[in-house]
Amino acid sequence: MLRHTKLAAVAGMATLALAACSSSGSDDATSPAAGGSEGTAIEGRAPELRVGAVVDISTWVAADAAWGNEATYYMAVYDSLLRTSATNEVQPGLAEAWEYNDDLTELTLDIRDGVTFTDGTALDAQVVVDNLNRFREGASPDRALLDAVTDVSAPDDDTVVITLSAPDPALEINLSMQAGLIASPSTFDSPDAQTTPVGTGPYVLDAASSTIGATYTFTPNEDYWAPEDQHFDKITINYYADASALLNALRDGQVDVSNLNSLTQIPDAEAAGYTTNSIPVNWKGLILADRWGANNEALADVKVRQAINYAIDREGLLQGLESGYGEPTTQIFNVEGDAYEAELEDAYPYDPEKAKALLAEAGYPEGIHITMPQTSFVPASEPELIKGVLAESNIFIDYEQAGESFFGDLLGGKWSAFAFGLNQEPLAWQTYNQAIAPGAAWNVYHQADETVEALAARIRLGGDDGAAAAKELNEYVVDQAWFAPFYRVIGVIVTADGFQITMKSGQAVSNLWDITATA
Amino acid sequence: MLSFVSRRLATGVGLIATLAVLTFFFLQFGVSDVAQRIAGQQAGPDAVAVVEERIGVDRPVIVQFGDWVGSALTGDLGRSWFSGQEVTEAVMSRMAVTVSLAVGSVVLTALLGVTLGALAATRRGWSDRGVQFLAVLGQAIPGFLMALALVLVFAINLDWFPATGYTRPSESVPGWLLSITLPVIALTVGSIGGVAQQVRGSMIDAFERDYVRTLRSRGLPQRSVVFQHVLRNAAGPALTVLGLQFVILLGGAVIVETLFSIPGLGPLALNATSQGDIPVVMGIVVVTGVIVVLVNTLVDVIQAWVNPKVRLS
Amino acid sequence: MSSVTPAAAPARRTGPGLFLRLLRHPLGGVSMLILAVVVLLGALAPWLAPFDPSATDLHMILAEPGPEYLLGGDAAGRDILSRLLVATAFSLAGGLLVMAVAVTVGLTAGLVAGYYGGLIDAAGAWFTALTMSLPSIIVLIAARSVMGPSMWWTMAIFGLFISPVYYRVVYTSVRSVRNELYVDAARTSGLGDGRIIGRHVLLAVRAPVILLMSGVIAAGIGMQAGFDFLGLGDPTTPTWGQMLNEGFYNINRSSNLVLWPALVLGLTTVALTLLGTALRDELEGTGDKRHKAARPWALDQEVPADIDHGDEPAGDALLTVRDLAVAYPAGEGYATVVKGGRLSVRRGETHGLIGESGSGKTQTAFSILGLLPKGGKVMAGSIVFDGEELVGRTDAQLNALRGSRIAYVPQEPMSNLDPSFTVGHQLTEPLVKVLGMKKAEARGRALSLLARVGIPDPQRAFDSYPHQLSGGMAQRVLIAGAVSSHPDLLIADEPTTALDVTVQAEVLDLLRDLQDELGMAILIVTHNFGVVADICDRVTVMQKGVMVETGATRAVFENPRHEYTRALFAAIPQGAPRSPLPGVSSAGSLGAGALR
Repeated sequence: MLRHTKLAAVAGMATLALAACSSSGSDDATSPAAGGSEGTAIEGRAPELRVGAVVDISTWVAADAAWGNEATYYMAVYDSLLRTSATNEVQPGLAEAWEYNDDLTELTLDIRDGVTFTDGTALDAQVVVDNLNRFREGASPDRALLDAVTDVSAPDDDTVVITLSAPDPALEINLSMQAGLIASPSTFDSPDAQTTPVGTGPYVLDAASSTIGATYTFTPNEDYWAPEDQHFDKITINYYADASALLNALRDGQVDVSNLNSLTQIPDAEAAGYTTNSIPVNWKGLILADRWGANNEALADVKVRQAINYAIDREGLLQGLESGYGEPTTQIFNVEGDAYEAELEDAYPYDPEKAKALLAEAGYPEGIHITMPQTSFVPASEPELIKGVLAESNIFIDYEQAGESFFGDLLGGKWSAFAFGLNQEPLAWQTYNQAIAPGAAWNVYHQADETVEALAARIRLGGDDGAAAAKELNEYVVDQAWFAPFYRVIGVIVTADGFQITMKSGQAVSNLWDITATA
Repeated sequence: MLSFVSRRLATGVGLIATLAVLTFFFLQFGVSDVAQRIAGQQAGPDAVAVVEERIGVDRPVIVQFGDWVGSALTGDLGRSWFSGQEVTEAVMSRMAVTVSLAVGSVVLTALLGVTLGALAATRRGWSDRGVQFLAVLGQAIPGFLMALALVLVFAINLDWFPATGYTRPSESVPGWLLSITLPVIALTVGSIGGVAQQVRGSMIDAFERDYVRTLRSRGLPQRSVVFQHVLRNAAGPALTVLGLQFVILLGGAVIVETLFSIPGLGPLALNATSQGDIPVVMGIVVVTGVIVVLVNTLVDVIQAWVNPKVRLS
Repeated sequence: MSSVTPAAAPARRTGPGLFLRLLRHPLGGVSMLILAVVVLLGALAPWLAPFDPSATDLHMILAEPGPEYLLGGDAAGRDILSRLLVATAFSLAGGLLVMAVAVTVGLTAGLVAGYYGGLIDAAGAWFTALTMSLPSIIVLIAARSVMGPSMWWTMAIFGLFISPVYYRVVYTSVRSVRNELYVDAARTSGLGDGRIIGRHVLLAVRAPVILLMSGVIAAGIGMQAGFDFLGLGDPTTPTWGQMLNEGFYNINRSSNLVLWPALVLGLTTVALTLLGTALRDELEGTGDKRHKAARPWALDQEVPADIDHGDEPAGDALLTVRDLAVAYPAGEGYATVVKGGRLSVRRGETHGLIGESGSGKTQTAFSILGLLPKGGKVMAGSIVFDGEELVGRTDAQLNALRGSRIAYVPQEPMSNLDPSFTVGHQLTEPLVKVLGMKKAEARGRALSLLARVGIPDPQRAFDSYPHQLSGGMAQRVLIAGAVSSHPDLLIADEPTTALDVTVQAEVLDLLRDLQDELGMAILIVTHNFGVVADICDRVTVMQKGVMVETGATRAVFENPRHEYTRALFAAIPQGAPRSPLPGVSSAGSLGAGALR
């Protein structure tokens, strides 16, 4: 018996937002919406949707896909096995139904019948198996999403069985994102796969009128299995490499729906007649990654890491960097989740004297130097402010200009600490896998910690004990000062008159089918 | 004439070859960890090795270069290490955009530069001062400032032109013209000055030539001497300057295209060079080199055609 | 990007006075003032800046200008004024670095390649071509990926990249200087190469090098600003470009951020470019000086009475020049090059106007044609042609006479034909446009004229370009053009000077024959007594702008009355010819070596 799982208990599911910039806050918050678009009657399609993007797609190969700000591109041409609604309710995708076995180590998926790829190839269970295996071996930065998977098999044409080494509370959600993207087998060995996607999705990339690295045009897939989700006759995604260019495009009304490079663009967008849609997405702060002192010995000392936390003027930075759109915090776990503890919010009040004292205790009376990356897509004033605040406590930051290989270098452990924004994942388990687990992408030195591992084993099994363990993990991470969060910020997407969006909790971009024309 | 052109082209091929060699070996210093970056930060040594083999950086640099030359000679410039796009396709489609900007700008520069220069040279006095001042102003204001000011005034406040983006001529010719107007103007403003000054200088020079007096002594009015003889003789130096301007405009396009979010060579070059995407950089360098050599040869041919001494020898 | 216009014209005036002259130049003075202020601000930035330019203050983010932050605060709460000052220092330093590298490399390579030639020459040409076949910004971005975002590296590489601007100029100058006599003389006198380069060659290239400086600095600053604006710069060295980058990012929140750097950047580059223009005006004299003479024109000396032999035959005067004064603006006042005397030419007469070079005879001829060089003006006197006063006539009125009734044969045949048009075109154009002939008719007339002036293959000459003709042929073409309208007066300015001795006689014969045939008057301007003796009926002697003596050729030759005339005859080595000579000898020239 298959059951349609509704993880309603979970407030929201989120993914890794790769860009530090998709964050903001505003009063007129989220449009009311629930449950995605199933059953919604759509009469005809609006002529065109022009999306402004602050991130270019790095590859169209599904097995190598990232998510976050790039999700819009993938959602246009691909379907994933499952979907999540704007409120992170898991819904059918290319799998019509799905079911766990009793000890939560086997997930059986019932693949939708009659679906074909846009190159005419039929979708069957074996194609799904191949895709999942390719993702597990692919070059996606989020390959770890399927780390718990030990085997994928297709007992018949319609059924796929995923076997896990241990229960993974986030698997269904992961299958609704990049880990569940299904591409046509014809692309597997094609040299053009990186530039020419073939999926089953609602739209087809019109290569002739697209320019890689600049503008992508999509036309509807006329055989799509859920035509009610195709709201437009044409979708254009314009990538703006330069903040001034995006600002000018907004001022001139050249995009209908857009991310922003920075919250400072909100007044411009609103002055140009855009509506601001926002939802909490990120926490922003320093990731004190080098806790082994591999590159910077000082960071191995917990007192130094705590000193950094005391050195941060959270309220001031929130005002200075985000014009006050957000809340100061010291924890990286989601407010709605199990791990959250209100009393931790003020664990490290701003206190430069205490910071200096801690540094002295740790043997650094003259202060410490930390090398951090600086990128061209964050306005130069931002790192300068952070540097200025920390300098008051004798914590001196030396910036190093990062090239286009920024993310690679970052995740490869080039810098022992860096300022960043990460999603506030709804599940403690997800946050663990995002930034704390030894294999987590944002545990860039892949440090393993016994206390953490013991707690993780309990969180994995869920239940009350799992929730308690999550709180303990949060306390431990805050106390050990693995991070130095500044504040929680909010993701913003602006929409032009005549367009409406349902923001997706914890996501930098919404579901593509949740963008509609109102007229 | 034919041997002249072929001699020019042969020199050009040599130049491009030098350019290719220098670029290739120079870039080797900047791209040590490129395979890791392509494979992804989480890729282990095995995966990186696979990528290294795929893009061929596991072989000695000299072999890589030999391979590149071999396929480049057959017109195949390889694929981008990062986006996977064919370099020929990427560079050509974007080059068309950049060249249309540069050509539009050169034409506008020529028209305005020659007109203003001739005006300054023939009128002198206040017109001369005015033209010189405008030329200097245009030359002095950095292109990106001009571009942003143009967008603020003509796209956002007056809404005559789109603020960003590029419409292909195949989609809509009027749309295309509108989309390149502001970038072309932004590019042109800086180069008019040089051409106007050059035309003014060589016209004033030509005015003092003996043959002008002799022609005037035969009763020809000032006007016809200016238009037929002075301008014709001032054309040579002006053409040389225009040829130089073309290269400068190609460079200026890098900045202007980024600001206008135009999918030309500029953003591609910006991205590829900083990523260390050697096949793309090489493609850009070679194709730009070819175009510049062609333009210079064309300038020389026109030059020769204008100057009978060269044409007939 | 601002470009550097390659201007390789030779310098006219350099020297210690240059600075003062620049100050007096209307554009030069203002731009030097602006630059002085900017440079001073940049140089003193560390002491002038009221705050640490990189010190952030959360409470001063985008602060309005106030008592603390005079120009307000930027997006990171830094003092805009302090940042602007430091950015000025870095931006200027970047521009200067570009200039220093470009000058050092370009000058050295240009000197060496120009002086020694050979392999270095070829390498220089190759490098120049290389830099011109790739936009520099692409090279800079590539260099950035290798060297990292260092402003100094970027600017140094840019300097290297535009060093060919200097290389070409220096190279050209050195090449031309190298072959000049004084360098050869220096070499034969045993001076080493180093000394020669230092003493003679460097002197010659000084002007063009100075000339290009401001343009190169402006180009460097512009390139740096663009580079930084794209976010490619080094954040640890604040520049105007970086301030603008941050400013535009926040333009809706505060326009202070854009205003100040844009203003200083704009002013500086405009001032640099204007200074370049002023420099060129001063060094090359191309400026359009609105001459305002402090003193009005006046004859600066008493004109002595001219001596007239009084042997004029009867007949009406075709041309009478009386008390003519021609002046050019110079310094605070005027230089008067023609100042009086009398000249009269009757119909059908051949009249010689003789004098040393610089005596004003050619200026007199140009005055009659109404074609004085730029700046020259008839200040007084009268020129009456066939009863009509020409002084004071408009250019259009004079045009009606030129080419139809008054014609002109110049001295130097090659430079007086437009190199870009065929001989035929240059002969027929006035016939069609001025005399209103049909094209075919004009062509026929031109061909027959070419035959008439003794050109063996008229059709071939007609289709030729000037450079394909010999000097003698070209002079015949010019004579053909001059007589094509059957003029009443032909003014021939040293018509034989530039020609070979054998050709000279032929051309004079041709003029004489044409005169017989067409019955026109000829005014021959010459410094050659032989020419006068050969074909002139009458002669007028000019000295220092004054026509001092006039009379029948024989009378003047036999009995020179003015002391200057006498001195002239005495100066001729073999003595003054006492009778018309059958041929012409160049030995009869006056100061031939000093001419032109």
